[in-house]
Order: sequence, then structure tokens, then C-alpha cells
Amino acid sequence: MTHINLDELTHLQAINKKLVAGYHICEQDNVMWQELDQHIDEYTALFTALGHDLKHDSRGFYYFGSDESTPNMGKISRAIALTIYILIEHYANTGKDPMRALFDDVSDLELMQTLVQINKNLFDQLEIFSGSDLRKDVYLRMVRLGLAREVEGGFMLQAPIHRYIDALMEVNEETYLTEDEE
Amino acid sequence: MIPAKKLLNTITEHWGVLALLFKRFKMADFSLKDVQNAIKQKQPTWSNERIYKETNRLLNQDILIPLAKSSQLEINRAIADFATFLLQEEHLGLAQEISVLVDDLARLGNRLDNAGEIEDFDDLRRYSRIMDDRVRKIMKLYTHNENAILNIVEQAKSNNAVQSLQKRYKAVIEAFDEYIEPMLEMVDIRGEFHACFTLIEEQISKQILHIERSGKAYNDKRMLEQLRTRILEMHLVGRESLRKSADMLMPLREELRRNNLITRQAAKVLGLVRKNGVDNMLSAVQPNFVSDAQRYSLGQQRHIVAYMASLVEFEHEEYQLPDQQDVPAFVTPNIPDYNDVKTSFAKRFNKKRKKPQPLLQFLDESYPNLDADEMLFLYQKLVSDSDIKIIQSNEKARVKIAGQHFSLYPFNSEPQPDLKAGK
Repeated sequence: MTHINLDELTHLQAINKKLVAGYHICEQDNVMWQELDQHIDEYTALFTALGHDLKHDSRGFYYFGSDESTPNMGKISRAIALTIYILIEHYANTGKDPMRALFDDVSDLELMQTLVQINKNLFDQLEIFSGSDLRKDVYLRMVRLGLAREVEGGFMLQAPIHRYIDALMEVNEETYLTEDEE
Repeated sequence: MIPAKKLLNTITEHWGVLALLFKRFKMADFSLKDVQNAIKQKQPTWSNERIYKETNRLLNQDILIPLAKSSQLEINRAIADFATFLLQEEHLGLAQEISVLVDDLARLGNRLDNAGEIEDFDDLRRYSRIMDDRVRKIMKLYTHNENAILNIVEQAKSNNAVQSLQKRYKAVIEAFDEYIEPMLEMVDIRGEFHACFTLIEEQISKQILHIERSGKAYNDKRMLEQLRTRILEMHLVGRESLRKSADMLMPLREELRRNNLITRQAAKVLGLVRKNGVDNMLSAVQPNFVSDAQRYSLGQQRHIVAYMASLVEFEHEEYQLPDQQDVPAFVTPNIPDYNDVKTSFAKRFNKKRKKPQPLLQFLDESYPNLDADEMLFLYQKLVSDSDIKIIQSNEKARVKIAGQHFSLYPFNSEPQPDLKAGK
């Protein structure tokens, strides 16, 4: 039985507010990250009792696990997934190291426009028709979910993006077959 | 013959220039002009004459030497090697270099053994010295290659966005294929390397034992012991150095492999998405987010549009006509035939009655089985029948029929003959 001293969890309110909204707390969120890191047992116990599933990913982020999304969130998640996969392909095509560029390069509006132009028919399906649509519908949402942060001139992706890379690696022949049969 | 000290002085004085040339041209040739430019760059205050003089000095002391049948120059190979050592700008050697030296070592070991057998101590000493030299060379190669690998790793890691992925990792892959892997095979405990060293060690130990027993050439014993120690040490150092190199390279190779995997996978998935549509393909695998806030919000404009679009297709459930069986069977009301009622009424009230008789009381008495509504139906029929003479009372009365109470201005039968006569 963990004894939880609520007085020690000084940022509980902020952390809870962020996490229930689907936000990923990562190392860039200095204060909250440190607080979670120091009191991880207490927070895990507390959130479990409240019916949440606090997850810690060793690549440096905390989030609430969930088995299903609301339809709206599902759609956002798909848009983010597509954007990231297209980014990886784009970086690889331009001769960069995709994983390094993904986290080190700033995504500016010009890049977004290029991405949408090249992959027009894919983004059309998500009702994203321009670079600024991509910025508004995907990148700003990523900021809200803690997957990216806004920097001068664009956005930088953060560690929680690894969830999408894991998902990417999960797509194998089987998923592909079942999807084909449907 | 140029005095060594003079040469060293010149090298010290022009070290900057030499290092620059060495780094810029990497063993390739260069022109006289390049040398003068390099000097100019290092010593911008020098006059042209001075630069010319210094260039000549480098040439005269054979630090720079002209290529055969060409005006191009190169750094003296001996000095270049020295510079390589000093700058640690080493290039990775091949595993074969080491393996050739080890083979040579095995051959010399055999010779040494033979010389020991026939007690030719001069030869023994000579071979021992050569073997010692080979061992030192191998050790040098180990450190050299370790440094080279360190350079490769540093280069691959340095954040040079211009360099393409392939280029950046080519050196890593090459280092692995050309050096680390063959070397690891050789150094393996069951590999030829190990067997060779065991054999040499045995041979030397045998010689040492022999010397100890015979007491001849006792001075050489120490040399052989040293050689044996050195060979053992070399083996250890080699293993250590290889392990270190592999440790440095391995993460990079993993990273590369993973990167290639991710890139390939991304291309594959995007291909599938293009074919099958975004929602079909990605719904199954996308990460999910908690979204309490969203659960209660109304949604965006396009969700409302979608909702209204689905309203257009809304249909009521189709109306089902009842089946024959569902209709309850018709039950004929319990009401007696009106004509019968009328006749019995007439029969009863045609007889002379002095007082008016309440209509309802008659019905209640005659048909005690009727329900209230059926009774009222008959009452209403009698009242509206013009054949029957009735009058309505002026006083409100409360009557009870068939268990129900009614308050009404009741109709009563008209008192028949007497009243008629009285009128």
C-alpha cells in the first residue's frame, strides 16, 4: 500500500489536467516531468485508483493509456500518423537520416506545403488541402497533445512520436491482409 | 644526408602548413601553388619572397617531394606516416594485414623451434628478435585501427545534415565488414589465431625449458620469456581493442539498420495507404489518446454537418398493420332490444298511475344486469322517443344505477289517464 502525501504532489492538478486531455508529458515539460519522475509510485497509485492507466515510456514521456479513442480523436490520430510517415519518407527521399531529421529538424510552413503538395490525394482524404491546414489540423494538435512544441519558425517533434513509430512497425503483412479482405 | 635536427626544426616551423596540406589533400598530390597558398594562409604577414624561400626549403629538405615526371608534389611518405601518427588521422587497415603478420609469426615460430632443436643460438636470437618486431607491429596496427574506428564513429555521429545517410554510414558498414567481423572471427577462441598463438607459446616455452635444463645460452632465456609475455599481451590487447571498436560501431550499425527498417516500413505503409485509403489502413494501428474533454464537447462544425447529413436519411419505423388474430373478438353489448324495452315500458306505464314514475328506477328494476353506460343508453333512447310521454323534473336528483351515482334532472313518466283527464 503506497502512502500518498498529497502535499508532496504539488503539481497534481496541472498534471492531471494535462494527462486527461491526452497530453504527453515529456522531458521538455521540465517541472511536471520532474515531479512525475520523483513521485512516480505515488502518481501511478493515485491515477490507477481513479481508473486511469498512467504509462511511462523509457524513451522519456508519460501519458494515459487508452484502448480506444473518440471518433474525433481517432481521426486526429490518423492525421498525425499519416503526417509522420510522410515526413519519414520525405526525409529519406531527400537523403537525410530520417530518424535524426524527424526530431532535429524544424518543420516550417514551407515544408508543410511541400508535403501536402506531394501527397495531395492522401491529405485530401483527411480534408487537409494546404500547408496551413496541415499546420492547423495536425501540428497545432500535436502541440496540444505534447507530441511537438512550437519553436521559432515552426515546430519540433518530441519523444512521444515514438508511439507512432512503434505503430508503424506494427503494420505487417497480417494487418495488410485483413484490411485487404474487408 | 640532411641532418635530422635540421629537418625536425623545419617540420616544427612549418607544422601548421604540413598539417593543413595533409588534411586538405589526404595523401593526394598538390601543386607548388597550393603549398604557397597554404603558407600564405598560415603566415599572412610574410612577403612573397619569403614564401618562395620557405617553399624551396621544404623542397630541398625532401619534406615535400615532386612526383615522378610531373610538377605535382606530395608529402614525403615517412613524414606523412609520422603526421598520421601525430594527428591520429588514421585510416582503417584491413584485417588481412594483421592476419599476414600472424601467419608470418607462425612461420617464424617454426623456424625458432628448429633453431632451438639444433642449438643454433644465433638463429634463435635472430628469429626471436624478428618475432618481437612482428608482435610490436601487430600491436601498433591494433591501436591504429582502434583510432581509425573512433574517427569513423565521430564522423558518423557529427551532425552534418548535408551528408546523406548512405554516405554517413558507408564507412561504418565498411569498417564492420572489412575489419571487425573478420577480426572477431580470427580472435575467436576456436579460431586459427588462437591455435597459432597456443602453438607459438608452446614452442617458446619448450625452448625456455630446454635452455633451463641445458644451461646453455642462458642470456637468451630472458629474451624468450619477454617474447612469450609480449605475445600473450598482444592477444589480450587485440581482444580488448576489438571489443572496444565493436562497442563503438555496434550502436551506429543498429541505428542504421533500424533507420533503414523504418524508412522501408514507412514506404510500405504509405503504399498500402495509397491503395486502401487512410482510414482503412491506419485505424487498426493508430495510437489512442485519452480525451475526457472531447467526450463532452459538441464537436466541430464538420461533425455537425455530418450529423445533419445522416438526419436526411432518417426514416420512421414502418407502420405495421395489425394481423387478423390481434383484433379482439367483437362482443355484442348486453343491451336488450329497444323495442322490447319500449313495449314493457308502455305496458307498465299505460296502466293508470297517479304519480310520475322515475324512468331510471324502472330501468334499474327491469334490467338489473345492465352496466351503467348501457342503462344510460336505453334511458337516452326512451327520453328521445316521441311515442312515450315523459316529463323532466325540475329538481336535481341523485340516483344510483348499477353501482354508479349520477346527479341529473331526471325524466319521469307522465302520469297517464287521470292527469290527462285533469288537463
